[in-house]
Order: sequence, then C-alpha cells, then structure tokens
Amino acid sequence: MTQQQPVVVVGHVPTPRGRAALEHALAEAERRGARLVVVNSSRGDALVDEEYLQGDPLRRLHDELTVSGVPFELRQPVGRDVAEELADAVAETAAEVLVIGLRRRSAVGKLLMGSAAQRILLTVECPVLAVKGPPATTT
Amino acid sequence: MSVSPDPDVSTTDATGSHAAAEHRHPPRPRTGISRGELAMVVLLGALGVYLLLDAANIAVPGSANTIGPRFFPYLVGGVVLATALALGFRVLRGDRGPSDESEDIDPDAPTSWANVGVVVVGFLAHALLINVVGWPLAVTLMFALVAWALGARGVVRPLLTGGVLSVVVWLVFVKALDVALPGGILLELATDWF
Amino acid sequence: MGALGDLAGGLADALAPVNLLFALLGVLLGTAVGVLPGIGPAMTVALLLPITYALEPTAALILFAGIYYGGMYGGSTTSILLNTPGESSSIMTALEGNAMAKSGRGAAALATAALGSFVAGTIATLLLALVAPTVVDLVIGITAADYFALTVLAFVAVATVLGSSPLRGLASLGVGLYLGLVGTDVLTGQERFTLGIPQLSDGIDVVVVAVALFAVGEALYVASRLRRGPVQVMAASGPWFTRRDLRRSVGPWLRGTALGFPLGALPAGGAEIPTFLSYATERKLTKHPEEFGRGAIEGVAGPEAANNAAAAGVLVPLLTLGLPTSATAAIILVAFQSYGIQPGPTLLSTESTLVWTLIAALLVGNLMLLVLNLPLARVWVQVLRVPRPYLYAGILLFASLGCYAVNADPLDLVLLLVLGLLGFAMRRYGWPVAPAIVGLILGPVAETNLRRALAISSGDLGVLLDTWFSRIVLGLALAALVVPIVLRAVRGRRATPEEVQAGEGLRHRESVGAGPGEEER
Repeated sequence: MTQQQPVVVVGHVPTPRGRAALEHALAEAERRGARLVVVNSSRGDALVDEEYLQGDPLRRLHDELTVSGVPFELRQPVGRDVAEELADAVAETAAEVLVIGLRRRSAVGKLLMGSAAQRILLTVECPVLAVKGPPATTT
Repeated sequence: MSVSPDPDVSTTDATGSHAAAEHRHPPRPRTGISRGELAMVVLLGALGVYLLLDAANIAVPGSANTIGPRFFPYLVGGVVLATALALGFRVLRGDRGPSDESEDIDPDAPTSWANVGVVVVGFLAHALLINVVGWPLAVTLMFALVAWALGARGVVRPLLTGGVLSVVVWLVFVKALDVALPGGILLELATDWF
Repeated sequence: MGALGDLAGGLADALAPVNLLFALLGVLLGTAVGVLPGIGPAMTVALLLPITYALEPTAALILFAGIYYGGMYGGSTTSILLNTPGESSSIMTALEGNAMAKSGRGAAALATAALGSFVAGTIATLLLALVAPTVVDLVIGITAADYFALTVLAFVAVATVLGSSPLRGLASLGVGLYLGLVGTDVLTGQERFTLGIPQLSDGIDVVVVAVALFAVGEALYVASRLRRGPVQVMAASGPWFTRRDLRRSVGPWLRGTALGFPLGALPAGGAEIPTFLSYATERKLTKHPEEFGRGAIEGVAGPEAANNAAAAGVLVPLLTLGLPTSATAAIILVAFQSYGIQPGPTLLSTESTLVWTLIAALLVGNLMLLVLNLPLARVWVQVLRVPRPYLYAGILLFASLGCYAVNADPLDLVLLLVLGLLGFAMRRYGWPVAPAIVGLILGPVAETNLRRALAISSGDLGVLLDTWFSRIVLGLALAALVVPIVLRAVRGRRATPEEVQAGEGLRHRESVGAGPGEEER
C-alpha cells in the first residue's frame, strides 16, 4: 500500500453545531494537509428531513468547500443511521480523525432520545473530535 | 427484517450526486401484457358471472307485476361483465393502468411482497388477538410489526410508541367517547375507577 | 331574503363554544391530514365515523366539514413547498406554486393560495347557502325515475371523469355496487350474495369498506413500494404578498370561484376539472404568458380558488339531493345516515337547524383556516417529519379502531384486511378508489328508486324516460360515457380534459426541473 494523503471525515448538518463541526474539520484538514470527506446523511424515512442538503444550500456548501482550497469529497448517503454511515466512511477511508457536532442537551433529553454521538464514539475506530455549537442555541 | 436499503454513496460534487439520483429513476417501459392486470380483469369477470348466476338464486316473493330483488343484481352483473370484457380486450392489447401516485411511493421500486406479507400477517394476528389480550396490546404488536416492515429500527421504540399511542387512544375512545373496545384485563382493572 | 336569515340563525349556533371547538378541531385535523402524505380527508372522516356513536350530529358534522375544508389548505401547502400534489386537483398548484417557490417567491405563492382559498371558500359557501333552497324548490317534485337518472349520472361521472382510465373507473364502480348489494334486500327481505354467512346478512358496513380501501389499501401499497429518502423543501422565502401580487390574484380568484362552484355542484363533479380549466383560462388571459410554467402567481391563485369553490359546490347536490359526487362527500353522507338522517330534498325543512349551523360553521372554519395557514404554513411542514414507519403503523392502528368499533366483531377486521388487499390491488393497477365508495353508498339508493319507479309503471321501462328531466340527465350520463371513447377513437389516444392538461403539466415539470441540482420526483 502506497503512502496516501491523510483523511479527515466530518458529519455535517445545516445547523449551528453542523456549522461548527465543518469549520473545525476544515481547520483540521488544512493543518494535517488532509483530504476532507463531508458526510451529510439522512435516514430517509420521512418525507421531510431538513438536515439533508438539497438544492441551493447544497450548492452553497459545495462552492464554499471549493473556495477553501482543501481537497474534499461530499457524500450524501440515504437510508441508514448517521452513526453507521460515519463509521463506514471512517473505516473505508482509514481516516485519521472524525469531527462531529454535539447537540447541547439536558440530561433528561438525552435519556429520552438516546444519543447519536454516543453510538458514534462507541463504534468509530479513529480519534473523534467533538465540537459544540455556539451556546446561543436552545437547551 | 425488511429490505435493506441501498446506501447511495455519491460522487464528489453536488450536481454529480443529483445526476446519480436521477439515473435511479429511468422511465419504466409501459408495454407488454401485465399478468397482474390480467388477473384483476379475470377476477372482475368472475365477479360478473357470479353476480349473474347467483342472482337467479335469489328468492322472489309472490307479487309478480313489479320487479323484484333480482333485477338490479342482473343489471350490475351485466355492467361488471361487460366492463371486464372491454377492459380485458384493452389489457390484452397492452394497455396498462397508471399505478397510483403517492408521496411515499417510489413508482419505480419493484413490489416488495415480503413487506406486504409482514403487514398482512401482523394485521391478521392482531384481529385474532383482540378478544384474547385486549385491543391495546394486540394493536401495539401490530403497530411494531408494521413499523419494522416499513423500516423502523430497534425493538424498544416501535413497541413503546405503539404502546403509548394505543393506550392513549383506548383511554380517549373508551373512557371519554364510550366506544366499545376490549382493553385487556390489566388495563380494564387499572382504569376501573374512571 | 330567507336564506340569509336562516344563515344568520345558523351562525349564532355555530358560534356556540362547543361548535367552535369542533370546528377548530376539524380544521386542525384537516390541515394536518391534508399535509400528510397517504392520508386524505376521505380517509380521515371514514376513520372518525365511530365518533358518531358518541357525539351529537351537529358537533360531528361540523368536525367532518372542518376536515373536508382543511384538507384543501393542507394540500396546497405541500404542493407549493414540496411539489407533492396529494390529489389531482392540486397538480396545477404544484406546477406553478413550486416553480414560484424555487425562484424565491414561496411566501407569495403560499399567501395567494391561502387567501384565494379563503375568498373562494367564503363566496362559494355563501352561494351554497343561497342556492340550496332554490335547488330544493326545483327538485322537491322529482320522481323516482328522475332520481334514478341522477344517480346514474353520478355513477358515470365519478367512474369516467375522475381517475385516468374510464374502464378502470367503471370496474371500480362495479365492485362498489356489488359490495352494496350484499345483504338483505330492503324491499322484500330476501338475502342476496351473503354466501350463507350470517354476519353478511346485515350487509357490509360502509365504514369497513371505506377504511379498508383508503387506509389499509394505502398502507399495504406504501409497504410494497416504500420510498426512501426525503424530498426537497423549498423555503417560503421572498417578498411577502405585495400590492402587485394582489392585483394579479384577484381576477384569478374570482374566475376560479366562478368555474369551481358550478362545476363542483353538478353531479359530475369533483375538483379536478375546474382546476384544470381555471389554469387554462388564466394562461390565456394573463399579461405575463412567459411566466407560466416558471411560476406565475395567476396559475396558483386561479386553480386554488377553483379547488375550494368546487369543494363547496360538491355540498350542493349532497345537501339538497343526497347525492355525493366525491369520496369525501360520500363518507359525510354515511355520517348523516348513521344519525338516521337521509340527505335529500326534504333535509332543509326537516333538519333546518342542523344544515344552517353546518353551513355557518363552514364559513367560520374557513376563517380559522386562513388564520392557521397564512402565517403557519412552514410550521405545518414539520408534520411531515413523522417517520413513515410510524405514520403508516398509526394509520393501521386507527383503521383497526374505526372498524372494530362498528360491531365489536373481529371478523370485521378480517374482512377489512381482505378489502384492504383489494384496495392495494386497485392502487397498484390504476383502478380509482372513489367510484367504489360512491357505488357502495349510492347503489342501494339507485336500486330503491329504480324499483319504485318501475313499481308505479308496473314494470314498464319506458317510465325511466318519461320526464324531460330524466331524459336530459340520462343523456348527459350517456355523453359522459361515450364521449371519451369516441374521442379516443378519433384522436387515437386518451383525451379526457384531465389527460390533456396533465400531459401539459408533465411537460412543464420536465422543463422546469431540467436545471442542474434539481431533485425531480
């Protein structure tokens, strides 16, 4: 196996925390001279999923990444859990680091909803950089 | 449980990913005789024949100068049979009905009979279970089974959602609206004081 | 004016807190199910029929009427923001409205749809109040033969005009008529087509058939071809409704109402044809033909107004003749029947308070809908985040409830499943469901009137053509049956108005969606 460019994987959603994750991932990729793999996935089990990028917002993200100069790849898998998708992406690209955005949530909220972040931490094979969104967001 | 979804890992750029999405929806050729359509026509024809034959067995009471209970069935049977013949003729010439569109339908997906089977079995089971274990429990099991067939994950969430929903609905309809629904022993004891 | 006085009286009743509450509940539910995929007002009313055992007639009918009107508003929101026309009467709205949303005029599109629905709904409901007594005066003397002719017209219209294939519509109608025959003949007490099963001697309950064909059939169909992946939601962005938008919308609103109400009121109705006609009209009359297909506000305003006006129009034959011409109207008729009320020419005199309260409640509900939908359209879209597995499992849960509550007999649930499989097959092979429902409900009415007419004439079939009224009506029915066939023979292809317009619509959608990055459905 030849020496390949290192890879940074980031889970992105169009929310403040997704924004924060993306910014940190870009910085991380630049620092490591790495290729950036942006994963924006959807369970695809509802008619509306506003965290799945389509149309204009998708084009804007694409333009923004192009301008940044970091080599990137944008993946939009549909149908599975975000934790599974990220674990797959990390395994497939042998990523150095995974960047995710954390929801600010109360203990009760977490108890009720389970936590995608927790499942990611448990399954992913590489170091994980967890970024919190700006505190302005709701509980 | 259900069909495992095909993760659509797309290419590097935005427009590319959508081109891929569009390639998944090629216009489906609408030619040839559909066996399913033919089966529908045959069933319709059989219904027409049955109506005409069985109408002759309807007992007609005395008074002869008015038309009795046979006339309208003959009429309906005739219309049904004629429709079946005409439709059969068209289907044999390759005419296909446009299958119904719906927001949650993928018009190009092949029919998943396994999914249909799971829903049917789940529904049948709940029908037979109602008088045994009560409506809320029977319907909770059906709910979870259908949810799994349609792609829900996990064990806890479908069961919990179905359970909460069925108990709430049961309480509203039985205790507030007086609809008759067996609640099962536990629930009926627990809400007796109501 | 007598009608206005009655309406004022009805308004006083409709404003009673309980009735207001049920109207609010109805429009909320109606908007939600209008937004949700897979559920329509017909299915919702069918699922809720069991509450007629618990509620008094006024409350239940106000609830159902609210659902009926609310469904239209919800449908237009998803058409514009998601390009998913739930019913064929929303195709035109989806066409222009979604194009408007794509070009950043979503807010204006939603506003013209909501305001247009309100204007048309209000005018048409007032027209309903004015016209109903006159229609009753005209039809109070019609004979059994005339009434039979009217039912035949309704059958043919529902079968051949709705849906895209007349023969499949007739097939569906035939199935419905058969299901209506099963049971004990009312006039002679003879059992028919019961196969010796005692439960069938009372006939097949309408609730079971309706819930099976709509709810269970839909759930099975979705299970068989489950769609995966979300659709793109357009932002309700852009400048809000401007003075210029208003100027461009008023004409289409009024013309749409003028087209929708009479066409909806004819027993050949449904809302599709008026919306297609309205769209075609606005396209001809507009000063901005270049915008059509790319988001012309007239193309949203006109069809939306026509849609709502037609919905009110459908209530004219329902309340004055007991003649349902759409699936939802047929189910509402069943609701009347379950209270022992038979809608017909005498309804306005025997149940005057009920009818006028109902009409007044429609006006009130329409106002509520405007308030609920104009600022909150985006909020309603959130309803669509319900995951499909839970949505359809929930539909089946309510189907079980509605069906079991009728007789508390598990056998009904088995019958529900069997008929649900029929509904699944019908969807899969393009048989429309509405004719079966109308056939089931109107079939026995047609038979009774036919036999009454023939009893008077001692079996002479000529009695069916005795009056000018029945001759004209049967002539219309014959035309509705034959014209599509002749047109096809002449033009060599299907050529109902719907087909022509829908074809046009598809072409537009292709050209609109051709740009890169557009997710097409």
